[in-house]
Amino acid sequence: MSANLSGVRHTRGFDLVKPLSITVIIAVMLPLVLLPLASIFIFGTSSGLDKFWAALMAPEAIFALKLSIVTSFWATVFNVFFGLFAAYVLSKYNFWGRNALIVTISLPTAIPTAVAGFALLLLWGPYGTLGRLLEPQGIQIMFTAAAIILANIFVTFPLAFGVIKPVFDTMSSSLEEAAATIGATRWQTFWHVTLPSLRGAIVGGALLTFARSVGEFGSTILVSGNLASRTQTAPLYIFAKFNEGQVEAANAIAIVLALLSFMIFSILFFARDWLEAD
Amino acid sequence: MASSTPTSEPAVIVQNVSKRFGQTTVLDDINFEVAESEIVVLLGSSGSGKTTILRIVAGLEAPDNGSVILHGREVTQIPARLRGTGVIFQAYALFPKMNVEDNIGFGLRIRGKGRKEIREKVDELLQLVHLEDHRRKMPSQLSGGQQQRVAIARALAYSPEVLLFDEPFGALDAQIRSVLRHEIRNLLKTIRVPSVFITHDQEEALELGDRIAVLNAGRLEQIGTPYEIYNKPLTEHVANFLGSANLLSGSIRDGQFAFGDSLLEIDDVESLSDGQAATLVVRPEDVFLRKPENLTQNYQRLAVAQVVEISFAGAFERVQVRLEQSPNKNIMITRPKTETAAFPLAVGREVTVGLVRFRLLPAGKTGE
Amino acid sequence: MMRPFPNRKHRLGIGLAAIALCCSLVGCLPSTPDADHNGATITVYGFSIMKEALEKDIYPAFSAKWKREQGVGVNFVSSFAGSETITNQILQGAPADVAILAIERDAERLKQGAATASDWGLRPNHGIINKTPLVILVRAGNPKGIRDFADLASPGLRVIHPDPVSSGGAQWSILAIYGSALLRSEAETGAPDQARALQLLQALWKNVISSPGSAREARTQFELGQGDALVTYELEGLLMKQAGSGIEMVIPKATIFSEHPAVAIDRNIDVAKRPVVQAFLNFLSSDEAQKTFVKYHFRSVTNEAFNEENKEFANIEQPFTIEKFGGWQKAYPDIIEGIFLNQVRNR
Repeated sequence: MSANLSGVRHTRGFDLVKPLSITVIIAVMLPLVLLPLASIFIFGTSSGLDKFWAALMAPEAIFALKLSIVTSFWATVFNVFFGLFAAYVLSKYNFWGRNALIVTISLPTAIPTAVAGFALLLLWGPYGTLGRLLEPQGIQIMFTAAAIILANIFVTFPLAFGVIKPVFDTMSSSLEEAAATIGATRWQTFWHVTLPSLRGAIVGGALLTFARSVGEFGSTILVSGNLASRTQTAPLYIFAKFNEGQVEAANAIAIVLALLSFMIFSILFFARDWLEAD
Repeated sequence: MASSTPTSEPAVIVQNVSKRFGQTTVLDDINFEVAESEIVVLLGSSGSGKTTILRIVAGLEAPDNGSVILHGREVTQIPARLRGTGVIFQAYALFPKMNVEDNIGFGLRIRGKGRKEIREKVDELLQLVHLEDHRRKMPSQLSGGQQQRVAIARALAYSPEVLLFDEPFGALDAQIRSVLRHEIRNLLKTIRVPSVFITHDQEEALELGDRIAVLNAGRLEQIGTPYEIYNKPLTEHVANFLGSANLLSGSIRDGQFAFGDSLLEIDDVESLSDGQAATLVVRPEDVFLRKPENLTQNYQRLAVAQVVEISFAGAFERVQVRLEQSPNKNIMITRPKTETAAFPLAVGREVTVGLVRFRLLPAGKTGE
Repeated sequence: MMRPFPNRKHRLGIGLAAIALCCSLVGCLPSTPDADHNGATITVYGFSIMKEALEKDIYPAFSAKWKREQGVGVNFVSSFAGSETITNQILQGAPADVAILAIERDAERLKQGAATASDWGLRPNHGIINKTPLVILVRAGNPKGIRDFADLASPGLRVIHPDPVSSGGAQWSILAIYGSALLRSEAETGAPDQARALQLLQALWKNVISSPGSAREARTQFELGQGDALVTYELEGLLMKQAGSGIEMVIPKATIFSEHPAVAIDRNIDVAKRPVVQAFLNFLSSDEAQKTFVKYHFRSVTNEAFNEENKEFANIEQPFTIEKFGGWQKAYPDIIEGIFLNQVRNR
């Protein structure tokens, strides 16, 4: 999809506004976004590619990256399923408290991630409200990979929902009615008619959730225990390496994360037409 | 209520159906039937309740009172998906992510039919609606008329009890509308499935329907063949809705219609009593203008009038005359080419107004 | 073109297979490398600067020793952060078996929080496993001409100082500065001048441009070029010099020795693990471990002779310890809270 604004001519000769406005955009982005990103790449490879590679291949680093991907994967799976389900129910049924529920779903984005982590500790930690009941049974959720997944679920909760719900809102009800008159049950209608129209939103929501999850730090550092090669995700690893003074190693992993995010958002952009609902 | 009752067991019976939305009565005691392979058109302006009737028959809404019976089976309490109606929605509601053949085969697919059976049926229907070359296309790649045909094929795939069309021609260009109406009617007559159309377009109703039911503000005012509805309207609303009508107020005197100085003989006196106020309904094409002294036997002389306005409307001439007696009503007349050739008119000319065909309604039968 | 796999059952099967593949690739937790599945695992939460010494030498040495004696190795899992931070984590339930802390006060807090029941003070050296004096780090060539703590209050100087709220090292630093000021005024006037010491702290804090959460973080910032001076452990300075960073160490006339206790987190240690944890704690006080600490620029607490081995160690003219202030029970409320938090930082 190329630019879609009108091609009306506004000036007689050469139009200065176009190159000027583009320059302004880049000029603003340079110090705020472009240069910081570039400095990660420059610094990470400044000590030479072999050092960069060694930092990347460190077992702790590989573990951290794998752990980040796995925990983000499951958090995404959960939030996409729930987001889909919640969007369906909340746009189909009206009931007392419906709007309050919608707002509550969106709440986690407004909460500082450290607060989220702390809240989880207060609930599930060995002295927590629920955790203290589980502790005697030998069940400890906090300071494990499960805790990281829980924290990720909390922090990214409304993302997939927020992408999927508008599609439901704008979906024509006559499609569902048509399916019903043809003889489809609610499930058949959902599976054959509603879901295909949602595939773009589902994929978009999933990628958004995943990208956000991988970068999560504030809540993870509290609930995971930050144990290297056990519960240390990539962002935690970067932070630890930075604190140890091993800035190149930190940068190496930061580059990997940056590239991963870049890849995800490129997919989102270029597959936009396929993802678009009719 | 005048209606031509079908002789065999009706396919669709709508009985005493009423519906309210909050304070408003949307439907008030609706009763009609559709015979096998009959096309019934529900005609009315927006807000007359015609869409609601359709949705109630389909099961998309529930009536407050009354029942719907399809082929002898009472379906009022049965959910839409078990009724077996085929609905063609206003915007066709084709499933956007499925191609033409998947859309058509959908009904059979969810009924668990085998792949071979589905394919055979889909092929048959594609041939029926002349869309074989488009079977792989997505709905967004089809024209409005093609989408409509897919919608019909989709509904026919599972042999519905009745086809329900919701203003199907509204989204189409005027030129193809007439062509498509013709095609659809031929198709429906071929497959012999009972159908109900709803529309606000009286031309459409006249062309499509075997019978027309006229709705006004939730009430069924008249149901009958196009000829009956047009020529024997039972209320002023029905008269006005189909074609134009001139309405003249007068009273019954000695078994005749008295209007100013004129007296007109009337046929069906039995419904009206002497002294009763009545309204005379006459169509523009049933009024003839003659030189004041020339009025043959076939025409009932109404009054003398003066030509006020003449306009050229292609196949006929539209003339407005003003009666010289009180009340000085304006009458609208349409004159075919034979008339304009035989007796050309100019504004200001004096003429005699004669009626060949008219109806009398009790005054106040406005159908409000 | 025929759509591939039109058969619904085929499609369903392939879909499930794809999902299973996806889950196994992306959905399975990575295994921990180097896990000796026979041996015990000790989880150590240590304050930031303990990392190298523990991971590079102490852990392998102890594991080898245990293997010689018991036939199985020992796995170590660690988490490093500021001393206060790890104390808080353990209080919240972090699964530590052993905590190595920067200040004894954190051990007290663990005891109060019922994380530990044992009295580490009964172990040799009060449970302290190593120590290091607080010094000042400056840029190569000492361009600002800093010679003692008092110079840090010079107007215009930029100082990195970790946050005493989360960093044990920061608290040692405050005590070092305050204590040395008291000693100086005592030498000049015969009696310690608390007011002057307070003024020094206040003036110094005005120069602090960054207050990160741990000693290690502060060091990293200083290494990256921020600030003119950093108050930190001698060992941090020696490590930086060893790595070739362009810094110089300024040894104050009087300074405090930070003492680092190791504590067993009884709450997390089950009966089976108790022997190996106890052995590990004892190991930290053994000659082998103490010599290792000296190698990593910690000063030994068991035998001063070991400290001779490290030629880099500077001679402190007027060393003092927490005892000068009456132990942490008094030092914390009196100085850290009473003087620093109330009168210096929260002004």
